[in-house]
Amino acid sequence: MEPVTEKLILSNVKKSFGQTSVLTNVSFGVTDGSLLTILGASGGGKTTLLRLIAGFETLDAGSIVMNGREVSSSNMSVPPEKRNVGFVPQEAALFPHLSAKKNIGYGLSHLNSKARNDRIAELLDLIGMSELGDSMPDKLSGGQRQRVAIARALAPNPDILLLDEPFAALDAQLRSRLRDDVRAILSKAKATAILVTHDQEEALSIADQVAILRDGTVAQIGSPRSIYSQPIDVELAKFLGDAVVVSGVIQNGKVSTQLGDLIPIVSHAEGLVGQVAIRPENLYLQPDPKGLATVTARQYFGHDALVEVKTAAGIVKARTSGPISPEIGMRVTVWVRGSVNFYATD
Amino acid sequence: MAGFGIFITLLPLLYVLLRTSQIGYAHLADIIFSARTLELVANSLALTIAVSITSMILGTAQAWLCNRTDLPNKRLFQVGAVLPLAFPSYVLAFSWLAFNPSINGFFGAWLVLSISTAPFVFLAVTAALSRHNSSSEEVARTLGKTQLEVARGITWPAIRPAVLGASLLVSLYTLSDFGAVSLMRYDAFTRAIYNAYRASFDRNTAAALALVLILITLVLVGIQRRISQTEVTKSSEQYRHMVTRLGMWRKPAQLLLVVWFSIGVVIPISSISYWIFVGQSSANSGQVLRALLNTLSYGLVGGIVVSLIGLAIAIIVVRYVSRYIVQVEQSVYLTHALPGVVIALAFVFLVNQSVPALYQTSFLVIIAYIALFLPNALAVLKVPISQVPTGVEEVSRTLGSSPMQTIWRVIVPAARPGILSAGAFVALTVIKELPATLILRPTGIETLATRLWSATSVGSFGAGAPYALLLIIVAGIPALLVNREIKSPRNQSSLEPASNETLNQVKPHIGQTLSRAQAGGTSD
Repeated sequence: MEPVTEKLILSNVKKSFGQTSVLTNVSFGVTDGSLLTILGASGGGKTTLLRLIAGFETLDAGSIVMNGREVSSSNMSVPPEKRNVGFVPQEAALFPHLSAKKNIGYGLSHLNSKARNDRIAELLDLIGMSELGDSMPDKLSGGQRQRVAIARALAPNPDILLLDEPFAALDAQLRSRLRDDVRAILSKAKATAILVTHDQEEALSIADQVAILRDGTVAQIGSPRSIYSQPIDVELAKFLGDAVVVSGVIQNGKVSTQLGDLIPIVSHAEGLVGQVAIRPENLYLQPDPKGLATVTARQYFGHDALVEVKTAAGIVKARTSGPISPEIGMRVTVWVRGSVNFYATD
Repeated sequence: MAGFGIFITLLPLLYVLLRTSQIGYAHLADIIFSARTLELVANSLALTIAVSITSMILGTAQAWLCNRTDLPNKRLFQVGAVLPLAFPSYVLAFSWLAFNPSINGFFGAWLVLSISTAPFVFLAVTAALSRHNSSSEEVARTLGKTQLEVARGITWPAIRPAVLGASLLVSLYTLSDFGAVSLMRYDAFTRAIYNAYRASFDRNTAAALALVLILITLVLVGIQRRISQTEVTKSSEQYRHMVTRLGMWRKPAQLLLVVWFSIGVVIPISSISYWIFVGQSSANSGQVLRALLNTLSYGLVGGIVVSLIGLAIAIIVVRYVSRYIVQVEQSVYLTHALPGVVIALAFVFLVNQSVPALYQTSFLVIIAYIALFLPNALAVLKVPISQVPTGVEEVSRTLGSSPMQTIWRVIVPAARPGILSAGAFVALTVIKELPATLILRPTGIETLATRLWSATSVGSFGAGAPYALLLIIVAGIPALLVNREIKSPRNQSSLEPASNETLNQVKPHIGQTLSRAQAGGTSD
């Protein structure tokens, strides 16, 4: 990692409101042109983090360096209007008295009218709303408003774009479509962006990097794939998606569990006791009249199904292909595909 | 600017407290516990109680009949019930005196103030009824309760806070009214204070009486606060409402509404019209025109000044709210309950002691308007300001605008339609104002209100009629229309639902806002 390409660096950021400590120690960097999602539970300080970066809040300790310039420290804070950040709040917050065009042009008052209009046209094109430039916000749909809000934030070429749960107010279908669009818009604009969300699927699907915010600090940061497949502890594994947790012990380099001997991703000392977390999609159910496990319940989704199986290790959930999922009452043998994460208990 | 406005608003209250503290306890006690003061207390309380009960019963009955029964032409009666709001109380007093001069004293004041205040109760109860979901009443019926039992057990508890809250508002209005009681020659507090000042420039008596009036007012304000806090807020969903069949009561109910409408609207209008025809010659058209221009100028200047200060405070309170500021805002509302006479006299004394040159100048009139109407302005201006979606300021900041630029580029333009109607409302309220204008205006400057007051005082109804009519046309009816405008939350709400936090910040004030807006603030 070359430090030169870090567009934004947070070091040991602390923030509390009165007695409540919201951020205890947050450090991370964002690479130029990349999209970082910050994933955390509601009320976990995600929004506070964004507001610190935007300059709406002052931090108690630590520093924020943007584009090589320190913008926040415990005794100094550059005001939001001098930071060159773009901000997209949850409810778009378009200026209700201005048309889409004028909303986008709001931050471009330093340009002459020719340059401003060109930039507005360029952005309207980028968000695919060239025909709707003169519409007032109340005539736009939720998704269109969110797009205008993003264009408005991108217009002055911000060093970093901050998106605060931008899809939370939209319905599920619109959300996933807009997510793809935003990904495309951001990469076309080569923007560096931070998006906060409490939605695991959203965080994983849109990001280059995911940071998990937990207990006021970054618990884990990495690519979506590494975050999902190698969470650093059982709690995170469960937070990021369904996980079957069984206890095991290291014997002969393998994890011996009631679901069989499993291969750990990293090797561990012999005799170590702990837990493994297995994703439902990594469990394979083989129909077997002599199998020791029984199917007890099934949630059918069409393309796949979530099957509950009673095993010696208790009830586990397995994801199976929809068309070939086993029926309730069937006896099966449970296999674990691939290697697993082993977490020693201390 | 905001600080200046709040300072001006608090000035009269501070002054009265200071002034009475200078009188000395013995003398103060002499005045307060004199037979004369006790008589005034009894008079004012009798009138206040009589008016409150009358308008509570009539307003509630009107609201229920016009909203929840099978009475024909309900819409028409709804409009009729609100129409008296177009008459300032002294215009009503004029019209009834002109109709029959023997209607005066307690009966006259009671009649006129009941007409003036019943619409407040009507509006508050109508709002409560439309918020109340009828399905609970329907469930009660299916559980074997009769209509009457349902009305007593389900409907009444739901509207009770509104009825009581509005009735207390009515009592505050009655207590502080100057125009109607003085024209009706009823010896209530406001008239006595004015007379004490007029007759002898007796500051001690006027100040001591004002103090007693303030104390009574504060008690009522305290009770009102408590009641309005317990008000249940329901969601704004559209509910279906159960309709009560009146059966044989239909005719009497109709008769009640028609009779009350005649008393409150038909007779006043007819009486004014009659005197305009009969007494045409006794009004000087040049005088009328000058009074109209003076009135409009005071309305315009006062409206603009008060609205600008109100706007500044509204923006601070709504968009940058903090605990400290909320308390300051509450103090503004406290002064609001003070009668106009008291505020005006406080300014007279204050100016005479410190800057005598300001006495009887238009400047002082405007200053008094600030003290009188800033709370109204604040209440109506907070609505449009709070309807600007949350988060826009922050977005504006990140796009390079300073906090000040953000106010001018985003908040004010986004709320502009609402700000303009609120400003118009304030200007119209100023136009109707009587006591402060009467006491503080420069010698020789007459407004519609002061001309009407003088003409009625000497019983020349023909001379007064044109002013009464003009007041209804330039102030009363427009105020009624603008008030409707302010109350209907238009376009903005469809845009983005404000976040829960904002709603919660704003909610407690909306009830206040409406009642204040309807009250047209201080009485006349």
